[in-house]
Amino acid sequence: MNNLKLAWRNLWRNRRRTLITSASIFFAVFFALFMRSLQLGSYDHMYKNAIESYTGYIQVQHKDFWEEKIVDNTFPYDRQLEQRILADANVTATIPRFESFALASNGPQTKGVMVMGVDPEKEEHLSKVTDKMVKYKLSAASIELIKQDSNLPEKIKELAPLFENSTYTTASRLQLDLGISDKDAGQWMPAIEQYSRFDNGHIEMGEPGVWVGEKLSSYLKLGIGDTIVLISQGYHATTAAGKYEIKGIVKLPLPDIDNKIVYLPLDICQGLYNAEGNLTSLALAVKDNKDRAIAGTVERIGGLVSGEKRVMEWREMNDVMVSQMDADDKGGQIMLGILYLVIAFGIFGTVLMLTAERKREFGVLVAIGMQKKKLSSVITLEMLLIGMLGLLAGVIVATILILYGVNHPLIFKGEMALMFEEYGMEPQFAFWTIDIYYISQILIVLAMVLLAIVYPLRKIFTMKVVNALRA
Amino acid sequence: MKILEIKNVHKIYNSSEVKVHAVNGVSLDFEKGEFAAIVGPSGSGKTTLLNMIGGLDTPSDGEIIVDQTNLAGLKSSALIDFRMRNIGFVFQSYNLIPVLTAKENVEFIMSLQKWNKKERDDRTFELLKAVGLEDRINSRPSKLSGGQQQRVAVARALASKPKFVLADEPTANLDSKSTETLLDIMEQLNKEEGITFIFSTHDARVVKKARRVITLEDGKVISDERKN
Repeated sequence: MNNLKLAWRNLWRNRRRTLITSASIFFAVFFALFMRSLQLGSYDHMYKNAIESYTGYIQVQHKDFWEEKIVDNTFPYDRQLEQRILADANVTATIPRFESFALASNGPQTKGVMVMGVDPEKEEHLSKVTDKMVKYKLSAASIELIKQDSNLPEKIKELAPLFENSTYTTASRLQLDLGISDKDAGQWMPAIEQYSRFDNGHIEMGEPGVWVGEKLSSYLKLGIGDTIVLISQGYHATTAAGKYEIKGIVKLPLPDIDNKIVYLPLDICQGLYNAEGNLTSLALAVKDNKDRAIAGTVERIGGLVSGEKRVMEWREMNDVMVSQMDADDKGGQIMLGILYLVIAFGIFGTVLMLTAERKREFGVLVAIGMQKKKLSSVITLEMLLIGMLGLLAGVIVATILILYGVNHPLIFKGEMALMFEEYGMEPQFAFWTIDIYYISQILIVLAMVLLAIVYPLRKIFTMKVVNALRA
Repeated sequence: MKILEIKNVHKIYNSSEVKVHAVNGVSLDFEKGEFAAIVGPSGSGKTTLLNMIGGLDTPSDGEIIVDQTNLAGLKSSALIDFRMRNIGFVFQSYNLIPVLTAKENVEFIMSLQKWNKKERDDRTFELLKAVGLEDRINSRPSKLSGGQQQRVAVARALASKPKFVLADEPTANLDSKSTETLLDIMEQLNKEEGITFIFSTHDARVVKKARRVITLEDGKVISDERKN
């Protein structure tokens, strides 16, 4: 009878207890992995949104711009420097920008806005603004068309008015709000897409025209073809003022930026601020965005820039968000700690009962000739098997759900979506794929089990056989 | 041939301020093949003496020598190993391993001694047949009656051909029919295998079967009778 066989048989002598203990480990592992995946996935999603919609991973800026974002802290667009930066192995494109603030108005409505002068073509390497253009809108007219379409089911007609004036960058999001399953999408969506289509125009270098954020456009009650007036302070305290036709509406995933962004062609923006040829930043698109690669690139680019310029990486530029995420991360880890503490007590309770119940049996085994070392290895195997049962089940179930979640993020709609947006977050739960956090969670559970084993092992090694036989 | 020598053995328990002299200067010798019963009233020191003979407890004074080995000279793991090879145990409440079948319980010690499978199987079958349980080899203890469990325990105690078997009140939990069957089996195995049996008992039926009866009182041997 080998140790493993004996341990396995012992495991099932109190089936209910084994199952309860394994189940508690299963839930601990499952929730730990699932929640961690959700947490890391959400951070990654928010970081990506912030980086890809706004800052990029690396920027070259005027050395004082980050502390004082005024147009005087700009630097000349140096094409030679740009070429040297482009020669770096990790840099795939440079994206010149001119960023400032202005007061925007339409009739009686006024709002402070962020003005972003961009080269629309180059911006495709980083923020891909055209992907974020509003493509569908459930306007009153489009809802009316949906209602009149006799081929569409009543359910869609009832749901559509609830989302009046909602805008969408993809048809799948529109489909989700209207409660149309993937199976029915082929039948109903073409007509709905046609009724709700929203056509944007382009902005091009040298041609006045703007794209505005969807939330900003709603606030200022602006639509395509309307005019927005911008007024600000230009380079060296000159007056900056201009009026521009709205060419398109963009819907950025970060609501805080979406409600204040105005995109202008770079040269038009430079003209508005009387800072022709100057940039506030040269953002870099990178091949490898892992932390180590970014740090290396920052160091190399830092060696290329001199004098008035500095290189910043995404963490510095999104420091508030990074701090918030770090705080949230710590909170999550404390919750996990509490979860593990509860489970640890559960495991220890099982070990305590197991040891007390089998004291006499341990005595008998040692009396008839089983070495304490061998008995200890059987008990260790028993506990490891209980742990592994829960651990494996937890890992398998969590992995299935996480892998599904990675490809199918949880997207909230309706009131829930609004609530998320009020907190400045995209109404979406993304999952982080299987990664190093799996190992840490597995090691924690194993450590708990191993720690719990110390108790029966100590009891066995200090056991007096004659006393154990009297138990 | 002496297989067990007990030389002036004492066992004193110090519970709080009261000193209890459980075994008080016992000296006994046992020859190979004896079928002996240690009797006496409760608290006379029978079980304590048996525990010390089996190396489960240590004397406060005196020596216990099994087949020329002084148990006091053995370290913990060596003593466990010595017990496994030389002493068989039968307990009052059977104490079989509940997750093992009758066969597995009997061959357990042989596995610990790393006997090969064929030797184990042959010996197990031989013993279970001797105790009349050859048809219950795959039954777990929970499926056996008390008497059957105690017969498996006897087979287990004999499995590794020990020098002697210590049986602490082996019939205490058995009905009269089971007691009779068990005693007949043990007597037969004693004769056939030549293994020494030492019982501690209150049971008159055991005393009747025993060929040597040692009476203890207040931790002292007050009589040691051999029957013909």
